[in-house]
Amino acid sequence: MIDRTLQPPLSPITKINFVEPTIIPINPFAKMYWMRAVLDETTRIEFHFNAGSIRGNEKLAGSVNNLIFSGTPSKTSTQIHEELDGLGAFIDQELGQEVAIISLYCLRKNAKAAVALVIDSIQNVCFHEQEVADTIREKKQQYLISSEKVNILARREFQKQLFANSPNYARQIVLKDYDAITVEGLQKFHQEFYLKGLLKVVLVGNMEEEFVNFLQNNVSPLATQTIPEYEKQFINNKGVFHVEKDEAVQTAIRIGMPLFNKTHPDFIDFQIVQTILGDYFGSRLMSNIREDKGYTYGIGSGLSEANKTGYFIIATEVGKEFVSATLHEIKVEIERLQNELIEEEELTLVKNYMLGQLLKHADGPNAMMDLFMSVQLQGLGFEFYADFIQRVNTITANELKQIAKNYLSWESLTIITAGSSN
Amino acid sequence: MIQFERFTLENGLRVIFHKDITTPLAVVNTLYDVGARDEDENKTGFAHLFEHLMFGGSVNIPDFDAPLQNAGGESNAFTSNDITNYYDIIPAQNIETALWLESDRMLSLAFTDKSLETQRSVVMEEFKQRYLNQPYGDVWLELRPLAYEVHPYKWATIGKELKHIEDATMDDVKSFFHKHYCPSNAILCIAGNFDVETIKTLTEKWFGNIPSGIKPARLLPQEPKQTSKKEKTIERNVPSDAFYFAFKMPERKSVEYYVVDVLSDALGRDKSSRLYTKIQKEQKLVTEINAYISGSLDNGLLVIEGKLSEGKTFEEVESAIWDVLTEIKNKELSNEELHRLKNKIRTAKEFQEQGLLNRTMNLCYFELLGDANGINEEAILYEEIQAEHIQAVANEILQENNCTLLKVKAI
Repeated sequence: MIDRTLQPPLSPITKINFVEPTIIPINPFAKMYWMRAVLDETTRIEFHFNAGSIRGNEKLAGSVNNLIFSGTPSKTSTQIHEELDGLGAFIDQELGQEVAIISLYCLRKNAKAAVALVIDSIQNVCFHEQEVADTIREKKQQYLISSEKVNILARREFQKQLFANSPNYARQIVLKDYDAITVEGLQKFHQEFYLKGLLKVVLVGNMEEEFVNFLQNNVSPLATQTIPEYEKQFINNKGVFHVEKDEAVQTAIRIGMPLFNKTHPDFIDFQIVQTILGDYFGSRLMSNIREDKGYTYGIGSGLSEANKTGYFIIATEVGKEFVSATLHEIKVEIERLQNELIEEEELTLVKNYMLGQLLKHADGPNAMMDLFMSVQLQGLGFEFYADFIQRVNTITANELKQIAKNYLSWESLTIITAGSSN
Repeated sequence: MIQFERFTLENGLRVIFHKDITTPLAVVNTLYDVGARDEDENKTGFAHLFEHLMFGGSVNIPDFDAPLQNAGGESNAFTSNDITNYYDIIPAQNIETALWLESDRMLSLAFTDKSLETQRSVVMEEFKQRYLNQPYGDVWLELRPLAYEVHPYKWATIGKELKHIEDATMDDVKSFFHKHYCPSNAILCIAGNFDVETIKTLTEKWFGNIPSGIKPARLLPQEPKQTSKKEKTIERNVPSDAFYFAFKMPERKSVEYYVVDVLSDALGRDKSSRLYTKIQKEQKLVTEINAYISGSLDNGLLVIEGKLSEGKTFEEVESAIWDVLTEIKNKELSNEELHRLKNKIRTAKEFQEQGLLNRTMNLCYFELLGDANGINEEAILYEEIQAEHIQAVANEILQENNCTLLKVKAI
């Protein structure tokens, strides 16, 4: 009989095979990153533009991003979508603060035609008046619906208070902004941030060289800007901020503070501390606030990275009667990290878990590319992960306690609650 | 083509092995043939609550997640109206830890009061987060009992009401486990860079001595054929009016299921679809419109949902939607349109099958449908669909007396 009370022996993760993408200069202003080792017929192509929500004097980035496939002088939006669908292509438009990304997913055999269509759509979008009116109407509706959600309300307030020193990072679109949008304004934004603003191209697919040359030649005219400016350090408004939402049965909580990205010497150490605190299913916040108290369906923490800086965040939705108890328990858990040494057993578990996650994030060409792009963003390479593995393996309980003391001060935090206070 | 091998242990546990030499990971996926449709109407939400309890420790192992995380792995699960599915992703060299954990919770749970108390609260918060605290969040709680009169699809997996979760007792939990959680009611799929012999040895070692159990008979009340249109209007504090047209459609195992899937794509999957181009783009009656199928094992629903533009009425939209439906019933799709729909399906399938976890889950699901190889045959079924099939199916199901309409009136 087997003894079911004993865990089978474990083997550590000793090696992770990192596969570098090929880096191809498009021109002096932009590069292409190509992962060729794909065994199936899929192709993924991303176009990164300097067209995030911080750009421009008006709040136009979201509307321009939504309108990219809305038609050119020779094609209506419906024609463009019929052609894309005819090629079996999927399009994704994503807007961040610092970057806007247009992604194309299709089969290899259709990639050339799909790329030509996507680039033509981006380059020649004409912001037809009717299309603009349709999009604004839809966006206003979406805005009203999202404003009913406590997690969205909390996020908007969090960004306002966390990026307090940096107006373009802190600004939030409000309903009346949509009424101020003009075709001319959209055209100007498009000219400045799309027609000149290509930052990089990401390609994952087993393509012929000829296709890569074609892609390179076609995107080159869009990349004519030197490296854009990004915020280097956020300064937050500290303390508690509440957003009232009548009749909400749960309250969204966002807690955080400006921090750093991978270029900082304490990044990996802090990443380990915040994993213990809230970044996996067995974390202290999950164990305490969900699995012990049952205040929430989920709670988590994370380190969010920008080009030049980053911030730390804790996010949850809790029953409205549990808000103060939840804040109290979060504080307790942070203080435990600062005052108590983490037990060997928990530390070993977190180390093993983090290396397992890295292995998972390096599995397959698409994951590998994402892993590479997350270090490339800050000008680093895969050597970062060698440091990461080494540091995870060697960090001690004492060092973690010190890191928690150095960075996780309760008084430095921005705390947002969005919900009903009645 | 997804390769796999299949064998059955003596206790009836079906095992599928999918070899992937490129990955350093292993996936262990366990599908239990139990979902919300198997619940007692007075104790709904139970299959899902039970899924939470499966992480609360088993008969020989006090904590499920910690040993898995210690092995570099992670896990999660989901419950639908039809099935409950658990998966573990773990570095391949530590696969035995996943098998140890999964087999022990198939053997028996710890059944602690603490676990039941906590998960009851967690699920109640999940209920609030997903269904009560979102605009339009309770729509499916309303639509299901309107569309289905007797079939258990009339309640959602989260349950009919919070009270059913509140009232769950330890006895309920235990009897649910003993009835549904046994080798004869489960399908296991393991994926990774292993030999089939290793997998046979390991599964025999960890699962071989679990008592077989009796596969519970399923005698669900069958929904009678709908004979007239059903309609209901609810008032909610939401920004705009919304509508949900639901048409009953054939069961998952029928060939028509795939045809209805393509029909729903033609109606409202993409920005080249009929409802989008006609009703949103041309007539501007809505700010959002989609069509999709519920994907259930028994007779499911083809749903058309959308939100009204300001100043437009339900009557205007309804008549415009019926015009689009009448057109697709009266005239075959062009070759070009059919070609577009099939190309999208082909691309989507290729991307879905990239993921090891997706492949593993789908192999289990197709085995439940009758044959894991269905995963490879599906592409041919879609390819063979012709315009005349779509037209025939459209005429069969897009009928007023087969329609349930839920309207959400903004107040």
